[in-house]
Amino acid sequence: MAELANIKKDDDPMPVFPINRGYIKRKKFYNGIAVFLAVMAFIIGAFPVFHIIYKAVALGHEYLNWRFISTLPTGFPIGAQGGILNAIIGDVYLVVIASIFAVPLGIGSGLYLSLFGKKRTNTFLRLLNELMIGIPSVVWGIVGFYVFSTNAGLGFHFGFSALAGGLTLGFIMTPIIALLTEQAINRIPSGYIEGALAMGATKWQATKSVIIKAALGGIFTGILLGIMNIIGQTAPLLFTNYYNTGMPTGITGPGGAVGDLAMLIFIYIHEPSKILHVKAEAASVVLLCFIFAIDLGLRLINYLTRKFL
Amino acid sequence: MAEQDEIKVNVKNLNFYYGNYHLLKNINLYFKKNSVCTLLGPSGCGKSTFLRTLNRMNDYTEGAKLTGEVLIDGKNIYDKSVDVVELRRNIGMVFQSPNPFPKSIFDNIAFGLKIHGIKNREFIAERVEKCLRYAGLYDEVKDKLHKSAFSLSGGQQQRLCIARAIATNPSILLMDEPTAYLDPASASIILDLITTFKKYYTIIIVSHNIQQAGRISDYSGFFLDGELIEFDEAGNFFTRPKDKRTENFITSRY
Ligand SMILES: Nc1ncnc2c1ncn2[C@@H]1O[C@H](COP(=O)(O)OP(=O)(O)OP(=O)(O)O)[C@@H](O)[C@H]1O
Ligand SMILES: [Mg+2]
Repeated sequence: MAELANIKKDDDPMPVFPINRGYIKRKKFYNGIAVFLAVMAFIIGAFPVFHIIYKAVALGHEYLNWRFISTLPTGFPIGAQGGILNAIIGDVYLVVIASIFAVPLGIGSGLYLSLFGKKRTNTFLRLLNELMIGIPSVVWGIVGFYVFSTNAGLGFHFGFSALAGGLTLGFIMTPIIALLTEQAINRIPSGYIEGALAMGATKWQATKSVIIKAALGGIFTGILLGIMNIIGQTAPLLFTNYYNTGMPTGITGPGGAVGDLAMLIFIYIHEPSKILHVKAEAASVVLLCFIFAIDLGLRLINYLTRKFL
Repeated sequence: MAEQDEIKVNVKNLNFYYGNYHLLKNINLYFKKNSVCTLLGPSGCGKSTFLRTLNRMNDYTEGAKLTGEVLIDGKNIYDKSVDVVELRRNIGMVFQSPNPFPKSIFDNIAFGLKIHGIKNREFIAERVEKCLRYAGLYDEVKDKLHKSAFSLSGGQQQRLCIARAIATNPSILLMDEPTAYLDPASASIILDLITTFKKYYTIIIVSHNIQQAGRISDYSGFFLDGELIEFDEAGNFFTRPKDKRTENFITSRY
Protein backbone atom coordinates (compact mmCIF):
# COMPACT_ATOMS: atom_id res chain seq x y z
CA MET A 1 0.00 0.00 0.00
CA ALA A 2 1.68 3.11 -1.20
CA GLU A 3 1.19 6.12 0.94
CA LEU A 4 1.79 9.27 -1.02
CA ALA A 5 3.95 11.85 0.69
CA ASN A 6 2.92 15.41 0.02
CA ILE A 7 4.38 16.30 -3.35
CA LYS A 8 5.09 19.96 -3.74
CA LYS A 9 5.18 22.19 -6.77
CA ASP A 10 6.06 20.91 -10.24
CA ASP A 11 9.44 22.61 -10.21
CA ASP A 12 10.54 20.84 -7.06
CA PRO A 13 14.11 19.77 -8.01
CA MET A 14 13.92 16.58 -6.00
CA PRO A 15 10.30 15.55 -5.64
CA VAL A 16 9.62 13.27 -2.69
CA PHE A 17 8.70 9.84 -4.05
CA PRO A 18 5.99 7.58 -2.65
CA ILE A 19 7.27 5.16 -0.04
CA ASN A 20 6.25 1.56 -0.54
CA ARG A 21 6.00 0.26 3.03
CA GLY A 22 4.90 -3.18 1.89
CA TYR A 23 8.01 -3.54 -0.28
CA ILE A 24 10.35 -2.63 2.55
CA LYS A 25 8.54 -4.97 4.95
CA ARG A 26 8.80 -7.79 2.43
CA LYS A 27 12.53 -7.21 1.96
CA LYS A 28 13.07 -7.23 5.71
CA PHE A 29 11.20 -10.52 5.90
CA TYR A 30 13.41 -12.01 3.15
CA ASN A 31 16.45 -10.78 5.02
CA GLY A 32 15.24 -12.67 8.06
CA ILE A 33 14.79 -15.81 5.99
CA ALA A 34 18.29 -15.48 4.51
CA VAL A 35 19.84 -15.12 7.97
CA PHE A 36 17.82 -18.12 9.20
CA LEU A 37 18.96 -20.25 6.27
CA ALA A 38 22.58 -19.22 6.75
CA VAL A 39 22.46 -20.16 10.42
CA MET A 40 20.77 -23.48 9.58
CA ALA A 41 23.39 -24.21 6.93
CA PHE A 42 26.12 -23.52 9.44
CA ILE A 43 24.55 -25.81 12.01
CA ILE A 44 23.96 -28.59 9.50
CA GLY A 45 27.54 -28.20 8.27
CA ALA A 46 29.11 -27.90 11.70
CA PHE A 47 27.12 -30.64 13.40
CA PRO A 48 28.88 -33.59 11.76
CA VAL A 49 32.25 -32.00 12.47
CA PHE A 50 31.51 -31.61 16.15
CA HIS A 51 29.89 -35.01 16.23
CA ILE A 52 32.95 -36.65 14.70
CA ILE A 53 35.25 -34.88 17.13
CA TYR A 54 32.98 -35.87 20.01
CA LYS A 55 32.78 -39.50 18.87
CA ALA A 56 36.51 -39.76 18.29
CA VAL A 57 37.31 -38.28 21.67
CA ALA A 58 34.67 -40.43 23.39
CA LEU A 59 35.95 -43.61 21.80
CA GLY A 60 39.64 -42.92 21.89
CA HIS A 61 40.03 -40.84 25.03
CA GLU A 62 41.84 -43.56 26.98
CA TYR A 63 44.82 -43.17 24.64
CA LEU A 64 44.90 -39.41 24.51
CA ASN A 65 48.00 -39.07 26.62
CA TRP A 66 51.66 -38.23 26.24
CA ARG A 67 52.76 -41.86 26.09
CA PHE A 68 50.54 -42.47 23.07
CA ILE A 69 52.17 -39.75 20.99
CA SER A 70 55.71 -40.31 22.22
CA THR A 71 56.23 -44.05 21.74
CA LEU A 72 56.50 -46.36 18.78
CA PRO A 73 53.89 -49.04 18.13
CA THR A 74 54.75 -52.53 19.43
CA GLY A 75 52.91 -55.78 20.29
CA PHE A 76 50.83 -58.05 18.10
CA PRO A 77 49.14 -57.12 15.90
CA ILE A 78 51.63 -54.31 15.66
CA GLY A 79 50.20 -51.28 17.46
CA ALA A 80 48.39 -53.29 20.10
CA GLN A 81 50.90 -51.80 22.47
CA GLY A 82 52.77 -48.53 22.33
CA GLY A 83 51.79 -45.35 20.54
CA ILE A 84 51.85 -43.60 17.18
CA LEU A 85 55.16 -41.74 17.19
CA ASN A 86 56.14 -43.34 13.87
CA ALA A 87 53.15 -41.71 12.17
CA ILE A 88 53.66 -38.29 13.71
CA ILE A 89 57.33 -38.20 12.76
CA GLY A 90 56.41 -39.55 9.33
CA ASP A 91 53.91 -36.76 8.75
CA VAL A 92 56.54 -34.19 9.64
CA TYR A 93 58.85 -35.76 7.05
CA LEU A 94 56.13 -35.82 4.40
CA VAL A 95 54.88 -32.28 5.00
CA VAL A 96 58.40 -30.86 5.05
CA ILE A 97 59.46 -32.67 1.88
CA ALA A 98 56.23 -31.78 0.06
CA SER A 99 56.51 -28.13 1.14
CA ILE A 100 60.16 -27.76 0.14
CA PHE A 101 59.10 -28.89 -3.30
CA ALA A 102 55.66 -27.30 -3.63
CA VAL A 103 55.96 -23.91 -1.92
CA PRO A 104 58.61 -22.37 -4.19
CA LEU A 105 57.18 -24.06 -7.26
CA GLY A 106 53.62 -23.04 -6.46
CA ILE A 107 54.46 -19.43 -5.61
CA GLY A 108 56.68 -19.21 -8.69
CA SER A 109 53.93 -20.52 -10.95
CA GLY A 110 51.40 -18.13 -9.38
CA LEU A 111 53.75 -15.19 -9.93
CA TYR A 112 54.34 -16.23 -13.51
CA LEU A 113 50.63 -16.56 -14.21
CA SER A 114 49.74 -13.19 -12.74
CA LEU A 115 52.71 -11.05 -13.70
CA PHE A 116 55.00 -12.41 -16.31
CA GLY A 117 53.35 -14.77 -18.77
CA LYS A 118 51.71 -13.93 -22.07
CA LYS A 119 47.93 -13.67 -22.00
CA ARG A 120 47.17 -16.49 -24.44
CA THR A 121 49.54 -19.00 -22.87
CA ASN A 122 48.32 -18.03 -19.43
CA THR A 123 44.71 -18.90 -20.21
CA PHE A 124 45.93 -22.34 -21.19
CA LEU A 125 48.25 -22.71 -18.21
CA ARG A 126 45.54 -21.57 -15.82
CA LEU A 127 43.20 -24.21 -17.22
CA LEU A 128 45.92 -26.82 -16.83
CA ASN A 129 46.46 -25.74 -13.24
CA GLU A 130 42.79 -26.06 -12.42
CA LEU A 131 42.73 -29.44 -14.09
CA MET A 132 45.63 -30.53 -11.90
CA ILE A 133 43.68 -29.52 -8.80
CA GLY A 134 40.84 -31.71 -10.01
CA ILE A 135 42.94 -34.83 -10.59
CA PRO A 136 42.01 -37.48 -8.02
CA SER A 137 44.78 -38.16 -5.55
CA VAL A 138 44.88 -41.85 -6.41
CA VAL A 139 45.97 -40.87 -9.91
CA TRP A 140 48.77 -38.81 -8.43
CA GLY A 141 49.71 -41.91 -6.48
CA ILE A 142 50.12 -43.90 -9.67
CA VAL A 143 52.05 -41.06 -11.31
CA GLY A 144 54.30 -40.82 -8.26
CA PHE A 145 54.80 -44.57 -8.30
CA TYR A 146 56.02 -44.56 -11.89
CA VAL A 147 58.08 -41.42 -11.62
CA PHE A 148 59.75 -41.90 -8.24
CA SER A 149 59.35 -45.44 -6.93
CA THR A 150 59.90 -47.82 -9.82
CA ASN A 151 63.01 -48.23 -11.86
CA ALA A 152 61.05 -47.41 -14.97
CA GLY A 153 59.97 -43.81 -15.46
CA LEU A 154 62.45 -40.97 -15.21
CA GLY A 155 65.27 -42.79 -13.52
CA PHE A 156 64.56 -41.85 -9.94
CA HIS A 157 64.96 -44.92 -7.79
CA PHE A 158 63.56 -43.68 -4.53
CA GLY A 159 61.64 -46.89 -3.79
CA PHE A 160 58.80 -46.76 -1.28
CA SER A 161 60.07 -43.85 0.73
CA ALA A 162 59.40 -40.51 2.36
CA LEU A 163 61.00 -38.75 -0.60
CA ALA A 164 58.80 -40.51 -3.16
CA GLY A 165 55.69 -39.99 -1.00
CA GLY A 166 56.52 -36.40 -0.12
CA LEU A 167 57.20 -35.39 -3.71
CA THR A 168 53.97 -37.03 -4.83
CA LEU A 169 52.09 -35.07 -2.18
CA GLY A 170 53.99 -32.02 -3.44
CA PHE A 171 52.35 -32.55 -6.84
CA ILE A 172 48.99 -32.19 -5.16
CA MET A 173 50.00 -29.12 -3.20
CA THR A 174 51.65 -27.13 -6.01
CA PRO A 175 48.60 -26.20 -8.12
CA ILE A 176 46.66 -25.17 -5.02
CA ILE A 177 49.41 -22.78 -3.95
CA ALA A 178 49.75 -21.51 -7.52
CA LEU A 179 46.04 -20.75 -7.78
CA LEU A 180 45.84 -18.96 -4.45
CA THR A 181 49.03 -16.98 -5.16
CA GLU A 182 47.72 -15.85 -8.52
CA GLN A 183 44.40 -14.81 -7.04
CA ALA A 184 46.07 -12.95 -4.19
CA ILE A 185 48.22 -10.99 -6.64
CA ASN A 186 45.28 -10.18 -8.89
CA ARG A 187 43.51 -8.66 -5.93
CA ILE A 188 46.33 -6.18 -5.28
CA PRO A 189 45.32 -2.67 -6.40
CA SER A 190 47.00 -1.93 -9.74
CA GLY A 191 48.31 1.32 -8.27
CA TYR A 192 50.95 -0.47 -6.21
CA ILE A 193 52.42 -2.20 -9.20
CA GLU A 194 52.14 0.83 -11.47
CA GLY A 195 53.74 3.00 -8.81
CA ALA A 196 56.74 0.72 -8.55
CA LEU A 197 57.12 0.29 -12.32
CA ALA A 198 56.82 4.04 -12.88
CA MET A 199 59.77 4.53 -10.54
CA GLY A 200 61.85 2.41 -12.88
CA ALA A 201 61.67 -0.80 -10.90
CA THR A 202 62.07 -3.99 -12.87
CA LYS A 203 59.16 -6.38 -12.63
CA TRP A 204 61.12 -8.51 -10.24
CA GLN A 205 62.02 -5.55 -8.01
CA ALA A 206 58.36 -4.55 -7.91
CA THR A 207 57.40 -8.13 -7.15
CA LYS A 208 59.96 -8.60 -4.43
CA SER A 209 59.41 -5.41 -2.52
CA VAL A 210 55.79 -4.50 -3.12
CA ILE A 211 53.73 -7.28 -4.60
CA ILE A 212 54.72 -10.30 -2.54
CA LYS A 213 54.25 -8.38 0.64
CA ALA A 214 50.78 -7.23 -0.31
CA ALA A 215 49.83 -10.75 -1.40
CA LEU A 216 51.36 -12.53 1.56
CA GLY A 217 48.09 -13.26 3.32
CA GLY A 218 46.66 -15.02 0.28
CA ILE A 219 49.88 -16.93 -0.35
CA PHE A 220 49.84 -18.23 3.22
CA THR A 221 46.25 -19.32 2.78
CA GLY A 222 47.38 -21.28 -0.29
CA ILE A 223 50.18 -23.00 1.62
CA LEU A 224 47.78 -23.77 4.44
CA LEU A 225 45.14 -25.24 2.14
CA GLY A 226 47.84 -27.28 0.42
CA ILE A 227 49.11 -28.77 3.66
CA MET A 228 45.57 -29.44 4.92
CA ASN A 229 44.84 -31.22 1.70
CA ILE A 230 47.86 -33.53 1.70
CA ILE A 231 47.93 -34.35 5.38
CA GLY A 232 44.72 -36.40 5.14
CA GLN A 233 45.74 -38.24 1.99
CA THR A 234 46.27 -41.97 1.89
CA ALA A 235 45.84 -42.87 -1.77
CA PRO A 236 49.02 -41.18 -3.06
CA LEU A 237 51.03 -42.88 -0.33
CA LEU A 238 49.76 -46.39 -1.10
CA PHE A 239 52.08 -46.72 -4.09
CA THR A 240 54.93 -44.44 -3.09
CA ASN A 241 55.59 -44.82 0.60
CA TYR A 242 53.01 -47.13 2.09
CA TYR A 243 53.71 -47.28 5.80
CA ASN A 244 56.47 -47.89 8.29
CA THR A 245 55.81 -49.02 11.83
CA GLY A 246 59.24 -47.92 12.95
CA MET A 247 61.48 -44.90 12.40
CA PRO A 248 62.92 -44.28 8.94
CA THR A 249 66.66 -44.69 8.53
CA GLY A 250 66.80 -42.38 5.53
CA ILE A 251 64.44 -40.74 3.08
CA THR A 252 64.99 -43.02 0.08
CA GLY A 253 65.33 -46.73 -0.63
CA PRO A 254 64.93 -49.48 1.94
CA GLY A 255 64.30 -47.97 5.36
CA GLY A 256 63.19 -44.73 3.74
CA ALA A 257 59.49 -45.27 4.20
CA VAL A 258 57.74 -43.40 7.02
CA GLY A 259 54.59 -43.74 9.05
CA ASP A 260 51.64 -41.45 8.46
CA LEU A 261 48.59 -40.69 10.56
CA ALA A 262 46.03 -41.07 7.79
CA MET A 263 47.62 -44.35 6.68
CA LEU A 264 47.73 -45.54 10.29
CA ILE A 265 44.02 -44.87 10.72
CA PHE A 266 43.30 -46.58 7.41
CA ILE A 267 45.33 -49.66 8.35
CA TYR A 268 44.18 -49.94 11.98
CA ILE A 269 40.50 -49.73 11.01
CA HIS A 270 41.02 -52.68 8.66
CA GLU A 271 42.57 -54.87 11.38
CA PRO A 272 40.23 -57.22 13.22
CA SER A 273 41.30 -55.84 16.58
CA LYS A 274 39.22 -53.84 19.02
CA ILE A 275 42.30 -52.14 20.49
CA LEU A 276 43.45 -50.94 17.09
CA HIS A 277 40.01 -49.55 16.29
CA VAL A 278 40.08 -47.51 19.47
CA LYS A 279 43.62 -46.39 18.69
CA ALA A 280 42.50 -45.30 15.23
CA GLU A 281 39.90 -43.04 16.87
CA ALA A 282 42.53 -41.60 19.16
CA ALA A 283 44.89 -41.12 16.21
CA SER A 284 42.24 -39.16 14.32
CA VAL A 285 41.96 -36.77 17.25
CA VAL A 286 45.74 -36.37 17.12
CA LEU A 287 45.52 -35.73 13.37
CA LEU A 288 42.95 -33.01 13.97
CA CYS A 289 45.18 -31.42 16.58
CA PHE A 290 48.09 -31.66 14.14
CA ILE A 291 46.13 -29.78 11.48
CA PHE A 292 45.01 -27.24 14.04
CA ALA A 293 48.62 -26.70 15.15
CA ILE A 294 49.80 -26.17 11.57
CA ASP A 295 46.95 -23.71 11.01
CA LEU A 296 47.88 -21.72 14.10
CA GLY A 297 51.58 -21.87 13.28
CA LEU A 298 51.15 -20.53 9.76
CA ARG A 299 48.78 -17.82 10.93
CA LEU A 300 51.36 -16.76 13.47
CA ILE A 301 54.10 -16.65 10.84
CA ASN A 302 51.78 -14.65 8.57
CA TYR A 303 51.03 -12.20 11.38
CA LEU A 304 54.68 -11.80 12.32
CA THR A 305 55.91 -11.29 8.76
CA ARG A 306 53.23 -8.67 8.19
CA LYS A 307 54.29 -6.92 11.31
CA PHE A 308 58.04 -7.02 10.93
CA LEU A 309 58.75 -7.25 7.22
CA MET B 1 69.60 24.55 -33.85
CA ALA B 2 69.23 26.24 -30.49
CA GLU B 3 65.46 25.88 -30.60
CA GLN B 4 65.70 22.12 -30.98
CA ASP B 5 68.16 21.73 -28.12
CA GLU B 6 65.70 23.16 -25.67
CA ILE B 7 63.02 20.64 -26.47
CA LYS B 8 62.97 17.80 -23.95
CA VAL B 9 59.89 15.91 -25.04
CA ASN B 10 58.52 16.06 -28.53
CA VAL B 11 55.23 14.36 -29.36
CA LYS B 12 54.57 13.72 -33.02
CA ASN B 13 51.33 12.49 -34.59
CA LEU B 14 50.39 10.56 -31.50
CA ASN B 15 47.25 8.45 -31.75
CA PHE B 16 46.05 6.26 -28.94
CA TYR B 17 43.36 3.58 -28.92
CA TYR B 18 41.64 1.60 -26.19
CA GLY B 19 40.65 -1.36 -28.35
CA ASN B 20 38.54 0.18 -31.11
CA TYR B 21 38.03 3.40 -29.21
CA HIS B 22 40.19 6.06 -30.82
CA LEU B 23 40.89 8.27 -27.81
CA LEU B 24 43.88 10.51 -28.56
CA LYS B 25 43.72 11.96 -32.04
CA ASN B 26 46.86 13.07 -33.78
CA ILE B 27 48.49 14.93 -30.92
CA ASN B 28 51.46 17.19 -31.74
CA LEU B 29 53.22 19.19 -29.08
CA TYR B 30 56.52 19.62 -27.32
CA PHE B 31 57.76 20.31 -23.82
CA LYS B 32 60.80 22.48 -23.29
CA LYS B 33 63.55 21.88 -20.79
CA ASN B 34 63.09 23.54 -17.40
CA SER B 35 59.56 24.59 -18.10
CA VAL B 36 56.22 23.84 -16.55
CA CYS B 37 53.41 22.84 -18.86
CA THR B 38 49.86 22.30 -17.65
CA LEU B 39 47.34 20.26 -19.56
CA LEU B 40 43.72 21.22 -19.11
CA GLY B 41 40.47 19.80 -20.33
CA PRO B 42 37.13 18.40 -19.21
CA SER B 43 36.94 15.12 -17.35
CA GLY B 44 37.32 12.09 -19.59
CA CYS B 45 39.02 13.94 -22.47
CA GLY B 46 42.18 11.83 -22.27
CA LYS B 47 44.63 13.87 -20.17
CA SER B 48 45.68 11.02 -17.90
CA THR B 49 45.97 8.69 -20.84
CA PHE B 50 48.18 11.19 -22.65
CA LEU B 51 50.41 11.62 -19.61
CA ARG B 52 50.81 7.86 -19.37
CA THR B 53 51.97 7.64 -22.96
CA LEU B 54 55.01 9.73 -22.00
CA ASN B 55 56.52 7.03 -19.77
CA ARG B 56 54.86 4.06 -21.43
CA MET B 57 52.62 3.21 -18.50
CA ASN B 58 49.97 2.19 -21.01
CA ASP B 59 52.15 -0.73 -22.05
CA TYR B 60 50.30 -2.88 -19.54
CA THR B 61 46.79 -1.70 -20.39
CA GLU B 62 44.89 -4.40 -22.20
CA GLY B 63 43.91 -3.53 -25.74
CA ALA B 64 45.93 -0.32 -25.75
CA LYS B 65 47.42 0.64 -29.11
CA LEU B 66 49.54 3.59 -30.06
CA THR B 67 50.88 5.13 -33.25
CA GLY B 68 53.18 8.10 -33.75
CA GLU B 69 56.28 9.11 -31.87
CA VAL B 70 57.29 10.42 -28.48
CA LEU B 71 60.83 11.75 -28.68
CA ILE B 72 62.68 12.31 -25.43
CA ASP B 73 66.05 13.97 -25.95
CA GLY B 74 65.54 13.22 -29.60
CA LYS B 75 65.01 9.48 -29.19
CA ASN B 76 61.68 7.78 -29.82
CA ILE B 77 60.75 6.03 -26.60
CA TYR B 78 58.56 3.56 -28.50
CA ASP B 79 61.58 2.32 -30.42
CA LYS B 80 62.20 -1.39 -30.02
CA SER B 81 65.69 -0.70 -28.68
CA VAL B 82 64.46 1.40 -25.76
CA ASP B 83 64.80 -0.10 -22.30
CA VAL B 84 61.56 0.80 -20.51
CA VAL B 85 63.06 0.39 -17.05
CA GLU B 86 65.89 2.77 -17.94
CA LEU B 87 63.40 5.22 -19.46
CA ARG B 88 61.23 5.33 -16.34
CA ARG B 89 64.16 5.86 -14.01
CA ASN B 90 64.51 9.18 -15.67
CA ILE B 91 60.83 10.12 -15.33
CA GLY B 92 59.03 10.74 -12.06
CA MET B 93 55.29 10.22 -11.98
CA VAL B 94 52.59 11.28 -9.57
CA PHE B 95 49.39 9.37 -10.23
CA GLN B 96 45.90 10.82 -10.22
CA SER B 97 44.90 8.92 -7.11
CA PRO B 98 47.50 8.61 -4.35
CA ASN B 99 49.10 5.17 -4.48
CA PRO B 100 51.66 4.82 -1.70
CA PHE B 101 53.28 1.39 -1.38
CA PRO B 102 52.26 -0.90 1.48
CA LYS B 103 55.41 0.13 3.30
CA SER B 104 56.45 2.66 5.90
CA ILE B 105 56.49 6.36 5.08
CA PHE B 106 60.28 6.27 5.09
CA ASP B 107 60.51 3.22 2.85
CA ASN B 108 58.06 4.68 0.35
CA ILE B 109 60.63 7.34 -0.49
CA ALA B 110 63.68 5.13 0.05
CA PHE B 111 62.29 2.60 -2.44
CA GLY B 112 63.25 4.69 -5.47
CA LEU B 113 66.77 5.19 -4.15
CA LYS B 114 67.15 1.52 -3.36
CA ILE B 115 66.16 0.41 -6.82
CA HIS B 116 68.80 2.77 -8.10
CA GLY B 117 71.29 0.72 -6.13
CA ILE B 118 71.91 3.26 -3.38
CA LYS B 119 72.80 1.61 -0.08
CA ASN B 120 74.31 4.41 1.98
CA ARG B 121 71.88 4.73 4.90
CA GLU B 122 72.89 8.24 5.85
CA PHE B 123 72.40 9.46 2.33
CA ILE B 124 69.01 7.80 2.13
CA ALA B 125 67.85 9.21 5.47
CA GLU B 126 68.98 12.67 4.47
CA ARG B 127 67.27 12.43 1.11
CA VAL B 128 64.03 11.17 2.63
CA GLU B 129 63.90 14.10 4.98
CA LYS B 130 64.69 16.57 2.23
CA CYS B 131 61.95 15.25 -0.05
CA LEU B 132 59.40 15.28 2.75
CA ARG B 133 60.31 18.88 3.51
CA TYR B 134 59.93 19.94 -0.11
CA ALA B 135 56.50 18.28 -0.21
CA GLY B 136 55.52 20.13 2.97
CA LEU B 137 54.92 16.88 4.81
CA TYR B 138 57.92 16.55 7.08
CA ASP B 139 56.54 18.27 10.18
CA GLU B 140 53.39 16.17 10.05
CA VAL B 141 55.16 12.82 9.82
CA LYS B 142 58.58 13.28 11.40
CA ASP B 143 57.59 11.30 14.48
CA LYS B 144 56.10 8.38 12.59
CA LEU B 145 58.41 7.82 9.64
CA HIS B 146 58.32 4.09 10.25
CA LYS B 147 54.56 3.82 10.42
CA SER B 148 52.62 2.47 7.46
CA ALA B 149 51.95 4.98 4.70
CA PHE B 150 48.31 3.92 4.83
CA SER B 151 47.98 5.60 8.20
CA LEU B 152 48.17 8.95 6.38
CA SER B 153 45.19 10.99 5.15
CA GLY B 154 44.43 11.25 1.45
CA GLY B 155 46.16 14.60 1.09
CA GLN B 156 49.17 13.43 3.08
CA GLN B 157 49.41 10.35 0.88
CA GLN B 158 49.33 12.57 -2.20
CA ARG B 159 52.22 14.66 -0.87
CA LEU B 160 54.09 11.48 0.02
CA CYS B 161 53.73 10.34 -3.58
CA ILE B 162 55.10 13.69 -4.75
CA ALA B 163 58.04 13.38 -2.34
CA ARG B 164 58.61 9.88 -3.66
CA ALA B 165 58.64 11.07 -7.27
CA ILE B 166 61.32 13.74 -6.79
CA ALA B 167 63.64 11.57 -4.71
CA THR B 168 65.55 10.07 -7.61
CA ASN B 169 66.38 13.23 -9.59
CA PRO B 170 64.27 12.46 -12.64
CA SER B 171 64.73 14.87 -15.51
CA ILE B 172 61.01 14.80 -16.30
CA LEU B 173 58.20 15.01 -13.78
CA LEU B 174 54.69 13.94 -14.74
CA MET B 175 51.99 14.96 -12.30
CA ASP B 176 48.36 14.00 -12.64
CA GLU B 177 46.33 16.48 -10.59
CA PRO B 178 48.94 16.74 -7.85
CA THR B 179 46.87 19.12 -5.75
CA ALA B 180 43.47 17.46 -6.11
CA TYR B 181 43.32 16.26 -2.51
CA LEU B 182 45.04 19.24 -0.91
CA ASP B 183 43.87 22.19 1.13
CA PRO B 184 44.89 25.63 -0.19
CA ALA B 185 47.95 25.90 2.07
CA SER B 186 49.30 22.47 1.16
CA ALA B 187 48.50 23.08 -2.49
CA SER B 188 50.48 26.27 -2.32
CA ILE B 189 53.51 24.39 -0.99
CA ILE B 190 53.29 21.97 -3.90
CA LEU B 191 53.03 24.83 -6.38
CA ASP B 192 56.16 26.33 -4.83
CA LEU B 193 57.86 22.95 -5.15
CA ILE B 194 56.96 22.88 -8.85
CA THR B 195 58.34 26.35 -9.40
CA THR B 196 61.54 25.47 -7.52
CA PHE B 197 62.10 22.23 -9.34
CA LYS B 198 61.60 23.48 -12.86
CA LYS B 199 65.21 24.71 -12.67
CA TYR B 200 66.19 21.06 -12.88
CA TYR B 201 63.26 19.24 -14.41
CA THR B 202 60.83 19.38 -17.25
CA ILE B 203 57.47 19.34 -15.52
CA ILE B 204 54.18 18.29 -17.10
CA ILE B 205 51.05 18.64 -15.04
CA VAL B 206 47.42 17.70 -15.53
CA SER B 207 45.22 20.10 -13.63
CA HIS B 208 41.59 20.95 -13.13
CA ASN B 209 42.39 24.13 -11.32
CA ILE B 210 42.71 26.92 -13.85
CA GLN B 211 43.85 29.45 -11.30
CA GLN B 212 46.67 27.24 -10.07
CA ALA B 213 47.59 26.35 -13.64
CA GLY B 214 47.81 30.01 -14.52
CA ARG B 215 50.07 30.66 -11.57
CA ILE B 216 52.75 28.11 -12.38
CA SER B 217 52.59 27.44 -16.13
CA ASP B 218 55.06 28.41 -18.78
CA TYR B 219 53.05 26.55 -21.40
CA SER B 220 49.56 25.24 -21.44
CA GLY B 221 47.53 22.89 -23.56
CA PHE B 222 43.80 22.33 -23.85
CA PHE B 223 42.40 18.87 -24.62
CA LEU B 224 38.85 18.22 -25.72
CA ASP B 225 37.55 14.76 -26.65
CA GLY B 226 41.05 13.45 -27.22
CA GLU B 227 42.13 16.33 -29.42
CA LEU B 228 44.66 18.99 -28.58
CA ILE B 229 42.66 22.12 -29.30
CA GLU B 230 45.24 24.67 -28.33
CA PHE B 231 48.81 24.75 -27.14
CA ASP B 232 50.66 27.95 -26.40
CA GLU B 233 52.78 29.93 -23.99
CA ALA B 234 50.87 30.46 -20.79
CA GLY B 235 50.70 34.22 -21.24
CA ASN B 236 48.80 33.89 -24.51
CA PHE B 237 46.89 30.80 -23.48
CA PHE B 238 45.27 32.28 -20.43
CA THR B 239 44.78 35.85 -21.62
CA ARG B 240 44.32 35.61 -25.38
CA PRO B 241 43.26 32.09 -26.29
CA LYS B 242 42.95 31.62 -30.04
CA ASP B 243 40.21 29.05 -29.98
CA LYS B 244 36.71 29.86 -28.78
CA ARG B 245 36.48 26.48 -27.04
CA THR B 246 39.60 27.17 -25.00
CA GLU B 247 38.22 30.50 -23.98
CA ASN B 248 34.94 28.93 -22.95
CA PHE B 249 36.79 26.37 -20.89
CA ILE B 250 39.10 28.69 -19.02
CA THR B 251 36.25 31.03 -18.28
CA SER B 252 34.31 27.99 -17.03
CA ARG B 253 31.64 27.94 -19.66
CA TYR B 254 31.85 24.16 -20.10
N1 LIG C 1 41.79 1.12 -19.39
C1 LIG C 1 40.85 1.73 -20.14
N2 LIG C 1 40.15 1.01 -21.03
C2 LIG C 1 39.21 1.60 -21.80
N3 LIG C 1 38.90 2.90 -21.75
C3 LIG C 1 39.56 3.67 -20.87
C4 LIG C 1 40.57 3.13 -20.01
N4 LIG C 1 41.07 4.12 -19.26
C5 LIG C 1 40.39 5.22 -19.62
N5 LIG C 1 39.49 4.97 -20.58
C6 LIG C 1 38.60 5.94 -21.22
O1 LIG C 1 39.38 6.93 -21.84
C7 LIG C 1 38.81 8.21 -21.66
C8 LIG C 1 39.85 9.17 -21.11
O2 LIG C 1 40.28 8.76 -19.84
P1 LIG C 1 41.35 9.61 -19.03
O3 LIG C 1 41.55 8.93 -17.75
O4 LIG C 1 42.54 9.80 -19.89
O5 LIG C 1 40.59 10.98 -18.84
P2 LIG C 1 41.05 12.30 -18.07
O6 LIG C 1 41.11 13.37 -19.07
O7 LIG C 1 42.27 12.05 -17.29
O8 LIG C 1 39.82 12.55 -17.11
P3 LIG C 1 39.80 13.10 -15.60
O9 LIG C 1 39.99 14.55 -15.67
O10 LIG C 1 38.44 12.73 -15.12
O11 LIG C 1 40.89 12.38 -14.87
C9 LIG C 1 37.60 8.02 -20.76
O12 LIG C 1 36.44 8.11 -21.55
C10 LIG C 1 37.74 6.65 -20.20
O13 LIG C 1 36.50 6.05 -20.07
MG1 LIG D 1 42.68 11.84 -15.33
